[in-house]
Amino acid sequence: MNLLQFLIRIQFSRYCLPRVKAYFYYVLLICVLCVKTEVRADNDYAIVTYPGVGEKVLSVNSLRSIFSMHLKTWPDGTKIRVFVLPDDDQLHQSFSKEKLNVFPYQLRSMWDRLVFSGTGQAPIKVNSSEEMLAKVASTPGAIGYLWRANISENVNVLQIK
Amino acid sequence: MLSLIGSFSAQAQQPNQPRKEPESIQSPTRLQTSELPAQATESAEAKKKPGAISSALNWWRTTELPGDLQIHGFASQAYILTSDNDVFGNSDDGGRFGLTEAGLNASVRPLPRLQLSAQVLSRRAGEGNTGTPRLDYGFLDYRLFSQEVNQFGIRVGRLKNPFGFYNDTRDVAFTRPGILLPQSIYFDRTRNLGLSSDSVQLYGDTTLFNLGTVSTQFGVTLPVVNDRDTESSLLAGVRVGQLNREVSYIGRAIFETNDKRLRLGVSGIWLNTSYDPSISHNDRLGPGALQFTPVIFSAQYNAERWTLTSEYAIRHFKYDNNFNLVLPNGYHLLDNQNFYGESYYFQGEYRFTPKWEAIVRYDALFTDRSDRNGSKFAHNVGGIAPAHSRFAKDIMVGLRWNVTPEFMLRAEYHHVNGTGWLSRLDNPASEGPLSQHWDLYAIQASFRF
Repeated sequence: MNLLQFLIRIQFSRYCLPRVKAYFYYVLLICVLCVKTEVRADNDYAIVTYPGVGEKVLSVNSLRSIFSMHLKTWPDGTKIRVFVLPDDDQLHQSFSKEKLNVFPYQLRSMWDRLVFSGTGQAPIKVNSSEEMLAKVASTPGAIGYLWRANISENVNVLQIK
Repeated sequence: MLSLIGSFSAQAQQPNQPRKEPESIQSPTRLQTSELPAQATESAEAKKKPGAISSALNWWRTTELPGDLQIHGFASQAYILTSDNDVFGNSDDGGRFGLTEAGLNASVRPLPRLQLSAQVLSRRAGEGNTGTPRLDYGFLDYRLFSQEVNQFGIRVGRLKNPFGFYNDTRDVAFTRPGILLPQSIYFDRTRNLGLSSDSVQLYGDTTLFNLGTVSTQFGVTLPVVNDRDTESSLLAGVRVGQLNREVSYIGRAIFETNDKRLRLGVSGIWLNTSYDPSISHNDRLGPGALQFTPVIFSAQYNAERWTLTSEYAIRHFKYDNNFNLVLPNGYHLLDNQNFYGESYYFQGEYRFTPKWEAIVRYDALFTDRSDRNGSKFAHNVGGIAPAHSRFAKDIMVGLRWNVTPEFMLRAEYHHVNGTGWLSRLDNPASEGPLSQHWDLYAIQASFRF
């Protein structure tokens, strides 16, 4: 992918600048490339659930509501159990910034407010991807996130729309 | 288009980081994945040294508990030194370890929609709080309606009063900005009055045009008024009789954008209380009643490294004419008093790294906004209380070090002009007059799990 982009850049400087028409095509192409790369970055990890969870697709709003610990039950009425990696974990950071669009420190302060006012519970902390996989695979109603490489058939992959 | 090209060439020049840059291109509102510098290395370090406590905590975390039981707690100790005047003990005489806070809470979800929570709190802070553990909150929370982002439920029991950004968790050092909260709004001397109350509360979260969510809480409460500090603040001294609990109301609405960057809130309390004089002690005070109705406006902006917060409160005090407290000069101190207090603060926090944070704040209190320098009051009471007891302007700087996620150290310095929020119990008249201009230095260690 990078080599391709590099080649495009060379082509870009050689041919494109003097030609207005071509200019537009290349911008279009770049956009397409970027979208493709975006998808790939997002696909490096995924939201996973306990296999018994009926949901296959989740809205961004629901995902945000679950991880801010406000939405507590799946549509079928069963408990949602949220698992997270430590605040400084790279996957946790990518997940919170890219999927939830909030900074990890904001999640932490939201959870603290719930826990210490009694109005909610904190997500359950796991220390590694292996533990995340084991917990999500074995805890009814569980939701978490995993690098693609760590995902096994013991968990469901959730689509976020 | 130009920005697209710009980002594109930047991306091509960094062949080793293909994942990072394109995020901002496809959706500009999205956050950069750039990490704060200290994170990666320090996490590795923290993982290498699991002390006895953290391994015990890990065991605790990883062991399945029935009914989704969760137990959390905190303990903090501060050392406070003042140039003049006392804050939580005899702090102007070499400093004191006068502020100790510890709490333990448990929550359980016996049913998917039902949560029970309780917290016991011990707070040792000057004359007003001896450290005797008390029930801070204890209630049940039932979710009546739940659909994606829209939630609606009811809470019954002893609840933390929802007002401002910080009141709900004001005793947890980790959750508050600074060792001392902005005293103009979060008075420590009337804290028990404001802290929690026995109530029935309705709450709801709802989306607002896909921009964000509005969280509202509304409660009918019986306030906790039976402590000496509250009494001395509301009735100008510790009295032999008793303040009664009367039905009061509290409400708060907070709007947050989806990315939680912008938070706007408004909260209000309608507090009613009345005084029962003690007949056997020949009480100087009559059976008066008073209403206290503060309204607070809150605003916060959160960026990756910095957070700006400001809150403004207007506090209406209204006393009826039955207190009959007459001063030697013939002035009725409480009767028919009807005035508005005003408070506000501006605060900036900056995160150098996730471990190091700095804070700066300006906090101002005017007990009566039509008498900002207190001169009218001082004149009325014939000099028994100074003008500077009616205002306080506090400028504060502080530093916070998050040593581990569970352990935190911090230090702060305040320069205060005025004595408006000082506890009268900690600064009795017998210790001589208060100083208008004074400094406060404080350090604090805090642990939580």
